Amino acid sequence: MKKIIYTILLALLMAPNFMQGQENVGAVGSMSSFPVVYKYDEQVTWYFDLSGTTYAENEDLYMWIWSPSEPDAGNWENSSNFAKLTHVKDKIWSFTLTPTLYFTKTPAEIAASAGFWFRIKNKNGSKQSDVANMPYTDFSSFYTANELIRSYPTKPTIDKGVSILFNANLAPGFAGAKSVHMHSGLNDWDIKQEYQSWLPEIVAKTKLKDLGNGFYKMDLVPKDYYNAPDGYEMKNLVFLMVKDDWAGTTPDQVLFAGAYVPPPAPVFGFFPLQLSQKDFLGMSRKNNESGVNKLIYTITAGSKVINGEFTGGTAEIKGFVNLVAELNGIPNLTEIHVVVKDNKNKTISDTKMPLKTLDK
Amino acid sequence: MRCKSIYWLAVMMCFFAIGCDNTDDGSYVDPITIYEKVNGNWGLTNLKMIDESAKANKIEPSEENLSTYFNYEDFKIKFNVDEKNSPTSYEVSGNVPPLFAPKGYWKLSSDFQPVNPTGATKIYLYSDAQKTQKTDELLITSIPGKNGEMELKLVHASGGVPFVSYVFKLTTIN
Repeated sequence: MKKIIYTILLALLMAPNFMQGQENVGAVGSMSSFPVVYKYDEQVTWYFDLSGTTYAENEDLYMWIWSPSEPDAGNWENSSNFAKLTHVKDKIWSFTLTPTLYFTKTPAEIAASAGFWFRIKNKNGSKQSDVANMPYTDFSSFYTANELIRSYPTKPTIDKGVSILFNANLAPGFAGAKSVHMHSGLNDWDIKQEYQSWLPEIVAKTKLKDLGNGFYKMDLVPKDYYNAPDGYEMKNLVFLMVKDDWAGTTPDQVLFAGAYVPPPAPVFGFFPLQLSQKDFLGMSRKNNESGVNKLIYTITAGSKVINGEFTGGTAEIKGFVNLVAELNGIPNLTEIHVVVKDNKNKTISDTKMPLKTLDK
Repeated sequence: MRCKSIYWLAVMMCFFAIGCDNTDDGSYVDPITIYEKVNGNWGLTNLKMIDESAKANKIEPSEENLSTYFNYEDFKIKFNVDEKNSPTSYEVSGNVPPLFAPKGYWKLSSDFQPVNPTGATKIYLYSDAQKTQKTDELLITSIPGKNGEMELKLVHASGGVPFVSYVFKLTTIN
Protein backbone atom coordinates (compact mmCIF):
# COMPACT_ATOMS: atom_id res chain seq x y z
CA MET A 1 0.00 0.00 0.00
CA LYS A 2 2.78 2.37 0.99
CA LYS A 3 4.57 1.55 -2.23
CA ILE A 4 1.55 2.53 -4.31
CA ILE A 5 1.21 5.86 -2.50
CA TYR A 6 4.87 6.63 -3.07
CA THR A 7 4.56 5.74 -6.73
CA ILE A 8 1.61 8.08 -7.11
CA LEU A 9 3.43 10.85 -5.26
CA LEU A 10 6.47 10.42 -7.48
CA ALA A 11 4.33 10.51 -10.59
CA LEU A 12 2.65 13.71 -9.40
CA LEU A 13 6.02 15.31 -8.71
CA MET A 14 7.23 14.45 -12.16
CA ALA A 15 4.09 15.57 -13.97
CA PRO A 16 5.13 19.24 -14.29
CA ASN A 17 8.31 18.12 -16.03
CA PHE A 18 6.32 16.59 -18.83
CA MET A 19 4.27 19.73 -19.22
CA GLN A 20 7.32 21.94 -19.60
CA GLY A 21 9.76 22.02 -22.49
CA GLN A 22 7.90 24.89 -24.08
CA GLU A 23 9.71 27.69 -25.77
CA ASN A 24 8.30 31.18 -25.48
CA VAL A 25 8.95 33.06 -28.74
CA GLY A 26 7.99 36.54 -27.49
CA ALA A 27 5.09 38.93 -27.83
CA VAL A 28 2.77 39.33 -30.81
CA GLY A 29 3.56 42.70 -32.41
CA SER A 30 1.12 45.07 -34.06
CA MET A 31 -2.25 43.65 -35.02
CA SER A 32 -4.73 44.84 -37.62
CA SER A 33 -7.80 43.57 -39.39
CA PHE A 34 -9.42 43.82 -42.77
CA PRO A 35 -12.20 44.99 -42.86
CA VAL A 36 -11.08 47.64 -40.39
CA VAL A 37 -14.48 47.46 -38.68
CA TYR A 38 -16.74 44.43 -38.95
CA LYS A 39 -19.74 42.80 -37.40
CA TYR A 40 -19.20 39.54 -35.57
CA ASP A 41 -20.97 37.64 -38.32
CA GLU A 42 -18.80 39.09 -41.08
CA GLN A 43 -15.75 37.38 -42.49
CA VAL A 44 -12.59 39.14 -41.34
CA THR A 45 -8.85 38.63 -41.74
CA TRP A 46 -6.65 39.36 -38.75
CA TYR A 47 -3.00 40.28 -39.32
CA PHE A 48 -0.23 39.64 -36.78
CA ASP A 49 3.25 41.10 -37.00
CA LEU A 50 5.52 38.41 -35.54
CA SER A 51 8.81 39.97 -36.66
CA GLY A 52 9.65 40.57 -33.00
CA THR A 53 9.37 36.86 -32.20
CA THR A 54 11.82 34.06 -32.81
CA TYR A 55 9.44 32.29 -35.22
CA ALA A 56 11.03 31.64 -38.61
CA GLU A 57 9.39 32.91 -41.78
CA ASN A 58 8.63 29.46 -43.10
CA GLU A 59 7.21 28.12 -39.85
CA ASP A 60 3.69 26.66 -39.74
CA LEU A 61 1.78 28.55 -37.07
CA TYR A 62 -1.60 27.99 -35.46
CA MET A 63 -4.20 30.00 -33.60
CA TRP A 64 -4.79 28.94 -30.02
CA ILE A 65 -7.80 30.99 -28.87
CA TRP A 66 -9.89 30.38 -25.75
CA SER A 67 -12.09 33.46 -25.59
CA PRO A 68 -14.91 33.88 -26.64
CA SER A 69 -14.69 30.06 -26.96
CA GLU A 70 -12.04 27.41 -27.54
CA PRO A 71 -12.65 25.84 -30.98
CA ASP A 72 -9.45 23.75 -30.96
CA ALA A 73 -9.75 22.61 -27.34
CA GLY A 74 -7.81 19.49 -26.41
CA ASN A 75 -5.48 19.69 -29.40
CA TRP A 76 -2.55 21.63 -27.92
CA GLU A 77 -0.12 18.97 -29.04
CA ASN A 78 -1.59 18.68 -32.52
CA SER A 79 -3.38 21.80 -33.71
CA SER A 80 -6.18 21.32 -36.24
CA ASN A 81 -5.84 22.55 -39.80
CA PHE A 82 -8.73 24.98 -39.35
CA ALA A 83 -6.57 26.88 -36.83
CA LYS A 84 -3.66 27.32 -39.22
CA LEU A 85 -2.31 30.78 -40.02
CA THR A 86 -1.17 32.00 -43.43
CA HIS A 87 2.18 33.69 -43.89
CA VAL A 88 1.58 36.94 -45.80
CA LYS A 89 5.08 38.44 -46.01
CA ASP A 90 7.99 39.55 -43.85
CA LYS A 91 6.87 37.63 -40.77
CA ILE A 92 3.30 38.91 -40.92
CA TRP A 93 0.80 36.09 -40.60
CA SER A 94 -2.94 36.27 -41.19
CA PHE A 95 -5.94 34.36 -39.94
CA THR A 96 -9.32 34.52 -41.66
CA LEU A 97 -12.52 33.73 -39.82
CA THR A 98 -16.15 34.60 -39.36
CA PRO A 99 -16.31 35.02 -35.58
CA THR A 100 -19.88 33.70 -35.11
CA LEU A 101 -19.06 30.53 -37.06
CA TYR A 102 -15.56 30.00 -35.67
CA PHE A 103 -16.63 30.37 -32.06
CA THR A 104 -20.17 28.95 -32.51
CA LYS A 105 -21.58 31.94 -30.66
CA THR A 106 -24.13 34.61 -31.45
CA PRO A 107 -22.95 38.19 -32.02
CA ALA A 108 -24.51 39.13 -28.66
CA GLU A 109 -22.59 36.36 -26.88
CA ILE A 110 -19.30 37.45 -28.47
CA ALA A 111 -20.01 41.08 -27.60
CA ALA A 112 -20.61 40.07 -23.98
CA SER A 113 -17.43 37.96 -23.82
CA ALA A 114 -14.01 39.05 -22.56
CA GLY A 115 -12.86 39.57 -26.16
CA PHE A 116 -10.46 37.66 -28.38
CA TRP A 117 -7.67 36.14 -26.23
CA PHE A 118 -5.10 33.87 -27.81
CA ARG A 119 -1.58 32.65 -28.26
CA ILE A 120 0.08 31.83 -31.56
CA LYS A 121 1.73 28.41 -31.39
CA ASN A 122 3.39 25.86 -33.59
CA LYS A 123 1.74 22.58 -34.51
CA ASN A 124 2.91 20.45 -31.59
CA GLY A 125 2.83 23.22 -29.00
CA SER A 126 6.58 23.22 -28.30
CA LYS A 127 6.63 26.94 -29.09
CA GLN A 128 4.14 29.62 -28.14
CA SER A 129 3.81 33.39 -28.15
CA ASP A 130 2.85 35.51 -25.17
CA VAL A 131 -0.87 35.84 -24.53
CA ALA A 132 -2.35 38.45 -26.88
CA ASN A 133 -5.68 40.20 -27.32
CA MET A 134 -7.08 41.08 -30.74
CA PRO A 135 -8.70 44.51 -30.34
CA TYR A 136 -12.21 44.99 -31.72
CA THR A 137 -13.62 48.32 -32.83
CA ASP A 138 -17.29 48.65 -31.98
CA PHE A 139 -18.95 50.92 -34.54
CA SER A 140 -22.54 50.41 -33.39
CA SER A 141 -22.82 54.05 -32.26
CA PHE A 142 -23.05 54.93 -35.96
CA TYR A 143 -26.58 53.48 -36.11
CA THR A 144 -27.89 56.20 -33.83
CA ALA A 145 -25.41 58.98 -34.54
CA ASN A 146 -27.32 60.69 -37.35
CA GLU A 147 -24.18 60.86 -39.47
CA LEU A 148 -24.39 60.37 -43.25
CA ILE A 149 -20.81 59.11 -43.55
CA ARG A 150 -18.26 57.88 -41.04
CA SER A 151 -14.90 56.31 -41.80
CA TYR A 152 -12.50 54.11 -39.83
CA PRO A 153 -9.83 55.47 -39.58
CA THR A 154 -11.03 59.07 -39.94
CA LYS A 155 -8.02 59.81 -42.15
CA PRO A 156 -7.22 56.85 -44.39
CA THR A 157 -3.74 56.14 -45.75
CA ILE A 158 -2.83 54.70 -49.12
CA ASP A 159 -1.65 51.26 -48.07
CA LYS A 160 -3.90 50.56 -45.10
CA GLY A 161 -7.52 49.49 -44.96
CA VAL A 162 -10.43 51.88 -44.51
CA SER A 163 -14.07 51.16 -43.70
CA ILE A 164 -16.58 53.78 -44.90
CA LEU A 165 -20.01 53.62 -43.24
CA PHE A 166 -23.05 55.12 -44.98
CA ASN A 167 -26.43 55.85 -43.44
CA ALA A 168 -28.80 55.80 -46.47
CA ASN A 169 -31.74 56.79 -44.24
CA LEU A 170 -30.27 60.28 -44.20
CA ALA A 171 -29.83 60.44 -47.99
CA PRO A 172 -33.02 61.67 -49.74
CA GLY A 173 -34.24 59.30 -52.44
CA PHE A 174 -32.33 56.23 -51.23
CA ALA A 175 -35.35 54.52 -49.67
CA GLY A 176 -35.98 51.10 -51.19
CA ALA A 177 -32.49 50.86 -52.74
CA LYS A 178 -31.69 47.39 -54.10
CA SER A 179 -27.97 48.12 -53.93
CA VAL A 180 -25.65 51.04 -53.19
CA HIS A 181 -22.42 51.69 -55.08
CA MET A 182 -19.46 53.99 -54.57
CA HIS A 183 -18.34 56.27 -57.37
CA SER A 184 -14.93 57.50 -56.22
CA GLY A 185 -11.39 58.60 -56.85
CA LEU A 186 -8.12 59.60 -55.25
CA ASN A 187 -6.71 63.14 -55.13
CA ASP A 188 -9.77 64.93 -56.56
CA TRP A 189 -10.51 62.26 -59.17
CA ASP A 190 -6.89 61.93 -60.31
CA ILE A 191 -7.25 58.14 -60.22
CA LYS A 192 -10.88 57.08 -60.56
CA GLN A 193 -12.95 54.05 -59.84
CA GLU A 194 -16.20 55.09 -61.49
CA TYR A 195 -19.44 53.27 -60.98
CA GLN A 196 -19.83 51.82 -64.45
CA SER A 197 -23.18 50.15 -63.95
CA TRP A 198 -22.98 48.28 -67.28
CA LEU A 199 -19.87 46.31 -66.29
CA PRO A 200 -20.74 43.41 -63.97
CA GLU A 201 -17.28 43.17 -62.33
CA ILE A 202 -17.26 46.95 -61.66
CA VAL A 203 -20.80 46.70 -60.26
CA ALA A 204 -19.53 44.04 -57.86
CA LYS A 205 -16.35 45.91 -56.97
CA THR A 206 -18.10 49.20 -56.19
CA LYS A 207 -20.97 47.63 -54.27
CA LEU A 208 -21.34 48.46 -50.59
CA LYS A 209 -22.03 45.76 -48.02
CA ASP A 210 -25.62 45.94 -46.77
CA LEU A 211 -25.64 46.04 -42.96
CA GLY A 212 -29.46 46.16 -42.88
CA ASN A 213 -31.95 48.91 -41.96
CA GLY A 214 -30.49 51.31 -44.55
CA PHE A 215 -26.91 51.08 -43.31
CA TYR A 216 -24.07 50.23 -45.69
CA LYS A 217 -20.32 49.72 -45.50
CA MET A 218 -17.43 49.87 -47.97
CA ASP A 219 -14.09 48.23 -47.14
CA LEU A 220 -11.01 48.91 -49.23
CA VAL A 221 -7.26 49.48 -49.29
CA PRO A 222 -6.78 52.58 -51.53
CA LYS A 223 -3.52 51.36 -53.10
CA ASP A 224 -5.14 48.13 -54.28
CA TYR A 225 -8.62 49.42 -54.96
CA TYR A 226 -7.43 52.24 -57.24
CA ASN A 227 -4.37 50.33 -58.44
CA ALA A 228 -2.23 53.35 -57.54
CA PRO A 229 1.40 53.31 -58.73
CA ASP A 230 4.17 52.76 -56.17
CA GLY A 231 5.08 55.91 -54.31
CA TYR A 232 1.72 57.57 -55.11
CA GLU A 233 1.02 60.23 -52.52
CA MET A 234 -2.61 60.15 -51.46
CA LYS A 235 -4.05 63.49 -50.39
CA ASN A 236 -7.76 62.70 -50.35
CA LEU A 237 -10.40 60.18 -51.28
CA VAL A 238 -13.45 61.74 -53.00
CA PHE A 239 -16.68 59.84 -53.51
CA LEU A 240 -20.41 59.83 -53.71
CA MET A 241 -22.84 57.00 -53.06
CA VAL A 242 -25.16 55.90 -55.86
CA LYS A 243 -28.54 54.18 -55.55
CA ASP A 244 -29.14 51.25 -57.91
CA ASP A 245 -28.33 52.24 -61.53
CA TRP A 246 -27.80 55.93 -60.83
CA ALA A 247 -31.36 56.28 -59.49
CA GLY A 248 -30.05 58.71 -56.89
CA THR A 249 -26.79 60.07 -55.49
CA THR A 250 -25.47 61.67 -52.35
CA PRO A 251 -23.65 64.99 -52.48
CA ASP A 252 -19.87 64.76 -53.06
CA GLN A 253 -17.95 63.51 -50.06
CA VAL A 254 -14.29 63.77 -49.21
CA LEU A 255 -11.99 61.99 -46.78
CA PHE A 256 -8.65 63.65 -46.23
CA ALA A 257 -5.71 61.32 -46.14
CA GLY A 258 -3.69 60.88 -42.99
CA ALA A 259 -0.18 62.21 -43.11
CA TYR A 260 2.08 59.74 -44.81
CA VAL A 261 4.84 58.96 -42.36
CA PRO A 262 7.87 57.73 -44.26
CA PRO A 263 9.82 55.09 -42.40
CA PRO A 264 13.03 56.41 -40.85
CA ALA A 265 16.07 56.05 -43.09
CA PRO A 266 18.36 53.09 -42.39
CA VAL A 267 21.58 53.95 -40.55
CA PHE A 268 24.66 51.79 -41.00
CA GLY A 269 27.82 52.24 -38.97
CA PHE A 270 31.06 50.59 -37.97
CA PHE A 271 32.45 50.49 -34.45
CA PRO A 272 35.03 51.73 -33.57
CA LEU A 273 35.92 54.60 -35.90
CA GLN A 274 39.60 53.61 -35.91
CA LEU A 275 41.01 50.21 -35.20
CA SER A 276 44.09 48.04 -35.18
CA GLN A 277 44.63 44.42 -36.09
CA LYS A 278 44.04 43.59 -32.41
CA ASP A 279 40.55 45.10 -32.13
CA PHE A 280 37.04 43.84 -32.61
CA LEU A 281 35.09 45.30 -35.51
CA GLY A 282 31.46 46.02 -34.76
CA MET A 283 28.80 46.85 -37.31
CA SER A 284 25.16 47.74 -36.95
CA ARG A 285 22.28 48.80 -39.15
CA LYS A 286 19.17 50.42 -37.67
CA ASN A 287 15.73 51.10 -39.23
CA ASN A 288 16.03 48.24 -41.68
CA GLU A 289 13.60 47.91 -44.56
CA SER A 290 10.98 45.21 -44.02
CA GLY A 291 12.39 41.84 -44.94
CA VAL A 292 15.99 42.86 -44.29
CA ASN A 293 17.19 40.78 -41.35
CA LYS A 294 20.83 39.92 -42.10
CA LEU A 295 24.15 41.65 -42.59
CA ILE A 296 26.48 39.41 -44.56
CA TYR A 297 30.12 40.47 -44.49
CA THR A 298 33.30 39.60 -46.34
CA ILE A 299 36.49 41.00 -44.86
CA THR A 300 39.72 40.73 -46.82
CA ALA A 301 42.98 41.29 -44.94
CA GLY A 302 46.00 40.48 -47.11
CA SER A 303 45.46 36.90 -48.20
CA LYS A 304 43.00 36.19 -45.37
CA VAL A 305 39.26 36.28 -46.09
CA ILE A 306 36.72 36.30 -43.26
CA ASN A 307 33.07 35.57 -44.02
CA GLY A 308 30.11 35.71 -41.72
CA GLU A 309 26.69 37.16 -41.03
CA PHE A 310 24.68 38.82 -38.32
CA THR A 311 20.92 38.46 -37.95
CA GLY A 312 18.47 40.89 -36.44
CA GLY A 313 15.21 42.64 -37.22
CA THR A 314 13.91 45.84 -38.70
CA ALA A 315 14.89 47.75 -35.55
CA GLU A 316 18.54 46.74 -35.61
CA ILE A 317 21.01 44.18 -36.88
CA LYS A 318 24.26 44.22 -34.97
CA GLY A 319 27.33 42.16 -34.29
CA PHE A 320 31.07 42.09 -33.77
CA VAL A 321 33.74 40.43 -35.87
CA ASN A 322 36.51 38.75 -33.94
CA LEU A 323 39.43 40.33 -35.80
CA VAL A 324 41.53 39.87 -32.65
CA ALA A 325 41.59 36.12 -33.17
CA GLU A 326 41.18 36.05 -36.97
CA LEU A 327 44.10 38.38 -37.69
CA ASN A 328 46.25 37.27 -34.75
CA GLY A 329 49.91 37.13 -35.78
CA ILE A 330 49.45 38.00 -39.47
CA PRO A 331 52.39 40.28 -40.34
CA ASN A 332 52.44 43.46 -42.40
CA LEU A 333 48.72 44.20 -42.50
CA THR A 334 47.98 47.84 -43.19
CA GLU A 335 44.31 47.75 -44.10
CA ILE A 336 41.20 45.61 -44.35
CA HIS A 337 38.57 45.64 -47.06
CA VAL A 338 35.06 45.22 -45.70
CA VAL A 339 32.06 44.47 -47.92
CA VAL A 340 28.66 44.24 -46.23
CA LYS A 341 25.49 43.10 -48.00
CA ASP A 342 21.97 42.52 -46.77
CA ASN A 343 20.02 39.28 -47.24
CA LYS A 344 18.56 40.68 -50.47
CA ASN A 345 22.11 40.95 -51.88
CA LYS A 346 22.13 44.73 -51.76
CA THR A 347 25.55 46.19 -50.96
CA ILE A 348 25.31 48.15 -47.74
CA SER A 349 28.96 49.13 -47.46
CA ASP A 350 32.17 48.63 -49.42
CA THR A 351 34.93 50.16 -47.34
CA LYS A 352 38.69 50.05 -47.00
CA MET A 353 39.78 50.65 -43.42
CA PRO A 354 43.38 51.45 -42.51
CA LEU A 355 44.74 49.46 -39.57
CA LYS A 356 46.49 51.52 -36.91
CA THR A 357 49.88 50.41 -35.69
CA LEU A 358 49.91 49.87 -31.96
CA ASP A 359 52.50 51.59 -29.77
CA LYS A 360 54.74 49.14 -27.99
CA MET B 1 21.28 50.85 49.10
CA ARG B 2 21.81 53.36 46.30
CA CYS B 3 25.17 54.40 47.78
CA LYS B 4 26.30 50.78 47.80
CA SER B 5 25.81 50.34 44.08
CA ILE B 6 27.80 53.48 43.35
CA TYR B 7 30.70 51.97 45.35
CA TRP B 8 30.48 48.81 43.33
CA LEU B 9 30.58 50.86 40.16
CA ALA B 10 33.68 52.66 41.39
CA VAL B 11 35.38 49.32 42.12
CA MET B 12 34.53 48.12 38.63
CA MET B 13 36.02 51.28 37.12
CA CYS B 14 39.23 50.55 38.96
CA PHE B 15 39.43 47.13 37.37
CA PHE B 16 39.00 48.69 33.93
CA ALA B 17 41.83 51.06 34.61
CA ILE B 18 44.11 48.25 35.75
CA GLY B 19 43.13 46.13 32.77
CA CYS B 20 44.66 48.70 30.41
CA ASP B 21 47.97 48.61 32.20
CA ASN B 22 50.06 46.83 29.54
CA THR B 23 50.65 48.80 26.34
CA ASP B 24 50.77 46.68 23.15
CA ASP B 25 52.86 48.27 20.42
CA GLY B 26 52.42 45.32 18.04
CA SER B 27 55.12 43.49 16.15
CA TYR B 28 56.53 44.61 12.80
CA VAL B 29 54.54 43.64 9.67
CA ASP B 30 55.34 44.39 6.06
CA PRO B 31 53.38 47.26 4.61
CA ILE B 32 50.45 46.22 2.49
CA THR B 33 51.40 46.21 -1.19
CA ILE B 34 49.00 46.07 -4.15
CA TYR B 35 50.36 42.60 -4.90
CA GLU B 36 48.40 41.30 -1.97
CA LYS B 37 45.25 42.79 -3.46
CA VAL B 38 45.78 41.88 -7.12
CA ASN B 39 46.94 38.32 -6.58
CA GLY B 40 44.37 35.59 -6.95
CA ASN B 41 41.69 34.44 -9.33
CA TRP B 42 39.37 36.95 -11.00
CA GLY B 43 36.20 36.44 -13.02
CA LEU B 44 34.72 38.88 -15.54
CA THR B 45 31.52 40.72 -14.72
CA ASN B 46 31.62 43.17 -17.63
CA LEU B 47 33.76 43.98 -20.67
CA LYS B 48 33.34 47.35 -22.30
CA MET B 49 34.95 48.45 -25.56
CA ILE B 50 35.46 52.19 -25.74
CA ASP B 51 35.97 54.05 -29.00
CA GLU B 52 38.34 56.71 -27.65
CA SER B 53 38.35 58.79 -30.83
CA ALA B 54 34.53 58.79 -30.96
CA LYS B 55 34.42 59.66 -27.27
CA ALA B 56 36.89 62.52 -27.73
CA ASN B 57 34.78 63.91 -30.56
CA LYS B 58 31.49 63.26 -28.77
CA ILE B 59 30.29 60.86 -31.46
CA GLU B 60 27.82 58.13 -30.49
CA PRO B 61 28.10 55.26 -29.95
CA SER B 62 31.37 55.62 -28.09
CA GLU B 63 30.99 52.46 -26.00
CA GLU B 64 29.84 48.92 -26.64
CA ASN B 65 29.29 46.13 -24.15
CA LEU B 66 31.09 42.96 -25.23
CA SER B 67 30.31 40.90 -22.12
CA THR B 68 28.09 38.49 -24.00
CA TYR B 69 30.32 38.09 -27.07
CA PHE B 70 33.21 35.75 -27.85
CA ASN B 71 32.84 33.60 -24.73
CA TYR B 72 33.70 36.50 -22.41
CA GLU B 73 31.14 35.17 -19.89
CA ASP B 74 33.81 32.56 -19.11
CA PHE B 75 36.79 34.93 -18.94
CA LYS B 76 38.94 34.40 -15.87
CA ILE B 77 42.40 35.67 -15.06
CA LYS B 78 44.72 34.43 -12.32
CA PHE B 79 47.62 36.48 -10.98
CA ASN B 80 50.05 34.36 -8.97
CA VAL B 81 52.51 35.50 -6.33
CA ASP B 82 55.20 33.59 -4.45
CA GLU B 83 55.42 33.23 -0.66
CA LYS B 84 57.02 36.68 -0.40
CA ASN B 85 54.09 38.22 -2.25
CA SER B 86 56.26 38.83 -5.31
CA PRO B 87 54.48 38.51 -8.66
CA THR B 88 55.20 35.41 -10.72
CA SER B 89 52.99 34.15 -13.55
CA TYR B 90 49.48 34.92 -14.76
CA GLU B 91 47.03 32.98 -16.86
CA VAL B 92 43.77 33.69 -18.71
CA SER B 93 41.16 30.96 -19.04
CA GLY B 94 37.83 30.82 -20.81
CA ASN B 95 38.82 30.44 -24.47
CA VAL B 96 38.51 34.13 -25.34
CA PRO B 97 40.16 36.15 -28.12
CA PRO B 98 43.78 37.10 -27.34
CA LEU B 99 43.35 40.81 -26.63
CA PHE B 100 46.54 40.36 -24.62
CA ALA B 101 48.80 37.32 -24.24
CA PRO B 102 46.77 34.62 -22.45
CA LYS B 103 49.67 33.62 -20.22
CA GLY B 104 53.01 34.89 -19.04
CA TYR B 105 54.54 36.80 -16.17
CA TRP B 106 53.59 39.99 -14.48
CA LYS B 107 54.67 42.80 -12.23
CA LEU B 108 53.33 46.15 -11.16
CA SER B 109 54.63 49.57 -12.07
CA SER B 110 54.51 50.44 -8.37
CA ASP B 111 54.32 48.28 -5.27
CA PHE B 112 52.12 50.70 -3.41
CA GLN B 113 48.88 52.39 -4.08
CA PRO B 114 49.55 55.78 -5.68
CA VAL B 115 48.75 58.80 -3.54
CA ASN B 116 48.14 60.86 -6.65
CA PRO B 117 44.94 59.50 -8.21
CA THR B 118 45.97 60.41 -11.78
CA GLY B 119 48.96 58.09 -11.76
CA ALA B 120 47.17 54.74 -12.06
CA THR B 121 49.24 51.65 -11.35
CA LYS B 122 50.00 49.47 -14.35
CA ILE B 123 50.29 45.71 -14.62
CA TYR B 124 53.17 44.90 -16.97
CA LEU B 125 52.81 41.58 -18.77
CA TYR B 126 55.87 39.66 -19.96
CA SER B 127 56.38 36.56 -22.05
CA ASP B 128 59.45 35.47 -20.07
CA ALA B 129 60.05 34.75 -16.39
CA GLN B 130 62.99 37.19 -16.36
CA LYS B 131 60.49 39.90 -17.34
CA THR B 132 62.48 41.39 -20.16
CA GLN B 133 60.02 40.83 -23.03
CA LYS B 134 57.02 43.02 -22.29
CA THR B 135 53.92 41.97 -24.25
CA ASP B 136 51.19 44.25 -22.92
CA GLU B 137 50.27 46.51 -20.09
CA LEU B 138 47.01 46.88 -18.22
CA LEU B 139 45.99 49.95 -16.25
CA ILE B 140 44.47 49.27 -12.84
CA THR B 141 41.66 51.81 -12.99
CA SER B 142 40.04 50.53 -9.82
CA ILE B 143 42.16 49.05 -7.03
CA PRO B 144 40.61 46.05 -5.31
CA GLY B 145 39.23 46.89 -1.90
CA LYS B 146 36.93 45.12 0.53
CA ASN B 147 34.27 44.68 -2.18
CA GLY B 148 36.55 42.27 -4.07
CA GLU B 149 36.27 44.14 -7.35
CA MET B 150 38.97 45.31 -9.71
CA GLU B 151 38.88 47.20 -12.98
CA LEU B 152 41.59 46.82 -15.60
CA LYS B 153 41.93 48.86 -18.76
CA LEU B 154 43.76 47.82 -21.91
CA VAL B 155 44.54 50.87 -24.02
CA HIS B 156 45.27 50.68 -27.74
CA ALA B 157 47.21 53.76 -28.78
CA SER B 158 49.03 54.79 -31.90
CA GLY B 159 51.63 57.56 -31.78
CA GLY B 160 50.73 58.06 -28.14
CA VAL B 161 47.08 58.76 -28.93
CA PRO B 162 44.59 56.20 -27.58
CA PHE B 163 41.95 55.19 -30.12
CA VAL B 164 40.33 52.11 -28.52
CA SER B 165 40.34 50.76 -25.00
CA TYR B 166 38.85 47.77 -23.23
CA VAL B 167 37.63 47.94 -19.66
CA PHE B 168 37.50 44.63 -17.76
CA LYS B 169 35.37 44.70 -14.63
CA LEU B 170 36.46 41.79 -12.48
CA THR B 171 35.34 40.23 -9.28
CA THR B 172 37.37 37.98 -7.06
CA ILE B 173 36.66 34.24 -7.11
CA ASN B 174 37.01 32.41 -3.75
